[in-house]
Amino acid sequence: MEFTVKSYRFNPEIDEKPYYKEYVLNDFPGMTVLNALMKVKAEIDGTLSFRRSCRSAICGSCAMKINGITKLACKTQVSAEIEKFGVIKVDPLGNMPIIRDLIVDQEAFFDKIKEIKPYLLGKTDHIDDDFKALKEGEKIKQPVYYKIEFQNLTGNNDTPNCILCECCYSECGGVVANSKYLGPAALAKLYRYSEDPRDNDKNGSRLVNGSKPAGMFDCVHCQACEEFCPKGISPVKVIVRMHEKAIKNSITFSKGAKHIIGIARSIQETGRLDEIKVAVDSVGISGILNDLPVAIGAGLKGKMPPLRLKLIKDMEDIRVAFKDLNLEEKHD
Amino acid sequence: MINYAYYPGCVAQESGKELDNSTRFIAKKLGINLIDMPEASCCGGGVVDGFDHNLKLYINGRTLALAEKLGYDILTVCNTCTLTLSEVNEELINNPESLEKTNAYLSKIGLKYSGTVKVKHLLYIIRDEIGLDKLKQAITYTLDGVKVAPFYGCHILRPSSVVKFDDVENPSGFEELIKALGAEPVSYIRRTKCCGFQTILVNEVTSTSLAGNAIYEAQQNKADVMVTPCPLCHLSLDTYQGVAAMNINKKLSLPVLHLPQLIGVALGGSYAEMGFSRHNISFRAVMSKIKQNKLK
Repeated sequence: MEFTVKSYRFNPEIDEKPYYKEYVLNDFPGMTVLNALMKVKAEIDGTLSFRRSCRSAICGSCAMKINGITKLACKTQVSAEIEKFGVIKVDPLGNMPIIRDLIVDQEAFFDKIKEIKPYLLGKTDHIDDDFKALKEGEKIKQPVYYKIEFQNLTGNNDTPNCILCECCYSECGGVVANSKYLGPAALAKLYRYSEDPRDNDKNGSRLVNGSKPAGMFDCVHCQACEEFCPKGISPVKVIVRMHEKAIKNSITFSKGAKHIIGIARSIQETGRLDEIKVAVDSVGISGILNDLPVAIGAGLKGKMPPLRLKLIKDMEDIRVAFKDLNLEEKHD
Repeated sequence: MINYAYYPGCVAQESGKELDNSTRFIAKKLGINLIDMPEASCCGGGVVDGFDHNLKLYINGRTLALAEKLGYDILTVCNTCTLTLSEVNEELINNPESLEKTNAYLSKIGLKYSGTVKVKHLLYIIRDEIGLDKLKQAITYTLDGVKVAPFYGCHILRPSSVVKFDDVENPSGFEELIKALGAEPVSYIRRTKCCGFQTILVNEVTSTSLAGNAIYEAQQNKADVMVTPCPLCHLSLDTYQGVAAMNINKKLSLPVLHLPQLIGVALGGSYAEMGFSRHNISFRAVMSKIKQNKLK
């Protein structure tokens, strides 16, 4: 089968602006998009630049946008893409500056990985909010593990399987909106260490730091990280587990935590999501005043929600749920 | 008539009442019988899981059990409600431990869930169960000449392991429906991206920029109107459109409709019946164009 690879090209040293170049190839059974790109580079155009290494979906180097979706080129079959889209259109990863052709600058991504301290914290003498890594020569005092802890360590939602390929980061709605947002890979790693029984984070500093602006509560829940992870990890699910853990440990200073608590309390009181109460709980009266033009605009259109909501029928059922789970005003 | 247990979600009963009204309007015209569930609670707005996972199971397990007791599948009109109810349904069907503890709670309130209910969004009920041919037959005003930008949003597509309505990489259900109404679907990249609503109270500037970018792209592609199957997306795209325009520093003025409003117009619904006056950006100009396309 003859098919076309349409590749994004840009060399800032010679090109005024980016353009697409097309290459016509013949496929072979089982040909991957990476095979196709390597064939282009070897036989047609040696100047096409892209990252690659293992060809086995384990090094994470060849992540790129293929027909608009971020994937590992080595794990993507040409035939399936041609069947669906009729072409192999390749673009560099999203949310990162472009260095040349399909190669992006990964510095910001790895700075965020470093920011969450991706290593086991050592023993500290002082309890404070700062991290303390092992110093040179300092050794971890190995605690005795219970079996349950080992299970937790090896099976914490597969987050240790992350290959840092940046597929999630490229698709993340939160990073599109806010380039400072830590992003799914770093937050999945934060979860992985915060759940590790060997980690010496007795004062919850990981969750405190993770709750700061541009941290875990800035997740927009778009589910793209789970959908497009080539290793089957769900960063969004573990981000939500960290939300729960933070709130249950009274780490509730962030607007995001207040927002979640506001929704839960609203359900406890009325069975419904009280839009006004949730807004007040999340951003406070001053936040509401900042949004006054929006509120007035909505009010003039008759969109202002009722000040006092009618309870759902059989409201007592919901109170039983809160009581059963021991969640009655526990976090207030 | 096809019966469904109707789960409008909170926004359609509060600030987005026009969504509930237009859903009821088109349901009548298309032979869908909506059975109300006044006992149903909020699904948790997509975030209650971060408060307590079991609470998410209990309150949504209760809604599923209410529908099961009625003997009908659930019809939703909100992406986030669709995903949350679907996630809980999946967990209760596939995880006996979760089902057992949820049923222990449900037994205290006289309910039981055995996992027979399906959660379906209005968009895909019309495509898959009512059928686009029947929709075409019901049209009284064709949307011929109207360019419609579909905004899918996230939770009707992702994660595809849970919401399995469409091809997550290249969905087409919305476009098929728009074509069936006689309109022209606008193709643009951000049609499947996030509207940012989940963080609108956490970080308004960054959140609204997502909605703003989508509207801007649709405008650049000559859309007359944008349509969404989710009232949360609608809040971001319509109510916050002015804020979004300021935050991305672009001129934005695109009417944004709820899915059943677009269908309702084609089925003869008036400006007042569809509740267009409740929207921030006026739909009047496009509406007058459509009103010239009367079929029968």
